[in-house]
Amino acid sequence: MIYLLIIVVFLALVALILYNSLIRKKNDVENAFASVDVMLKKRYDLIPALVDAVKGYMNYERDLLTEITELRAKAISDNLTSEERVKIGNKIRKDLSDILVAVENYPDLKASQNFLKLQGAINETEEQLAASRRAYNAAVTVFNNAVEVFPSNIMASMMKYGRRTLFDIPDSEKVKPEISPLTTKAEQ
Amino acid sequence: MTRYKNFREFYETSLKPDLEIIDRDRKKVNKRALTIISATVAAVILEIVLIPSAAEMLKGFIPMITGFAGLVSTGIVSKNYRKEYKSKIIAKITSFLDEGMVYTPEAMVPVSEFIKSDIFSLSVDSYTGEDHFRGKIGKTDIEFSEVTAKHLNTTQSNQGSKQEYITIFSGVFVIADFNKNFLTQTLVLPDTAEKLFGKFGQTLQSIGAGKKKLVRLENPEFEKEFCVYGEDQVEARYIITPSLMERILIYKRKWKSKISLSFVDSKVYLAINMNKNLFETRIFRPVADYSFMEENLRFLILLTEIVEDLNLNTRIWTKE
Repeated sequence: MIYLLIIVVFLALVALILYNSLIRKKNDVENAFASVDVMLKKRYDLIPALVDAVKGYMNYERDLLTEITELRAKAISDNLTSEERVKIGNKIRKDLSDILVAVENYPDLKASQNFLKLQGAINETEEQLAASRRAYNAAVTVFNNAVEVFPSNIMASMMKYGRRTLFDIPDSEKVKPEISPLTTKAEQ
Repeated sequence: MTRYKNFREFYETSLKPDLEIIDRDRKKVNKRALTIISATVAAVILEIVLIPSAAEMLKGFIPMITGFAGLVSTGIVSKNYRKEYKSKIIAKITSFLDEGMVYTPEAMVPVSEFIKSDIFSLSVDSYTGEDHFRGKIGKTDIEFSEVTAKHLNTTQSNQGSKQEYITIFSGVFVIADFNKNFLTQTLVLPDTAEKLFGKFGQTLQSIGAGKKKLVRLENPEFEKEFCVYGEDQVEARYIITPSLMERILIYKRKWKSKISLSFVDSKVYLAINMNKNLFETRIFRPVADYSFMEENLRFLILLTEIVEDLNLNTRIWTKE
């Protein structure tokens, strides 16, 4: 009788630990997702400022500027599926970099302090956005492992937790740096 | 590579004349030191022979004092020589590398900065250092020096408490301005747990790192070498981008020794463990030697190269 009791208490304890750890991991994922949202909002806030700064100079890229303004309006409206959000996000990302490339054709604009500051802020936000996505992916990986690995998978299926999908990190963020091996050569 | 080519010319025209003068001094000092050493040895032998065995205390004690006095006086004799060598030669090599770089032989990175880096968890009770360099490479401020930091450890045993110094760090400590602004602290420490215990090591790492939490990054090679702790998961990744991970790995390979980094207050702190005492000379070694001088330059280049290798001059973010 006493043994049975010990086993029951032990199992209950294990279940409790698994339950709490799964909840914690799920919260980490949600927290990380929220930080992606914060960074996205930061990006959206910068778009009107960028359009304002460049529209006086850019004559041939009017369509691009209208498009990004429309995309932004869509992105901040609430009724979007997550798939649409990703799609719009990618488009905005591409438009932003197209605008920054187009600026190369306008030396006056490129040299203006206002624009340089804005460019710095955009680069910063894009990198923070990439960082928050990587943080999200890391949290999701930990969560997915817990959902699939024994014995926490049993608890996870009872709680109806399933695998979550990772963000695709664009190739441009995976570029490896090229460093000239100057010193390594000199060492030989 | 051109820096090395020009160095040959610089050595011949600018360094060599000075080195020859210094070498003359060295020979004089060398002679004096040799005299002191032989006198000490002779005195010690005489003392051992002459002091009667009955006075056992004296027999051990007096030769020891004599030997110690000999060592100290050799040190004093060679100290001025080493000082002159540093202030003339190392200073010249420094300005050859970068004109704006300032070299102070007897200064060191402030202890407050060393503590602020938070790389070492033990409290610092003794802090010494030398060979301080400070300058600006492109847009990046940088300073570094040799540092030895020790912690006074007290152990309790049956015989009472015993105190002894343990070395926390000995090597070169570098501080450079980082190219991005950030508010929280991120540590990149050499990974000993994961190397020893693999996956289980990761579990060990996640326990007990104070306010900072383990940051798991996606580069497996980097994860094998380093263990990252941060106060903010997103900001840690904002600082340590995939490209910076590759860069840190490349820089580490150049040193072939243990390195630790810390990102605090928009600066990067780097601790390179090293047993060798850099930028030194000895009185028994001729100084007018090209490869010896080139070695000094090589270490300086390696140290300042952190700016280029970690891409610190790229200022495309809001920090200028």
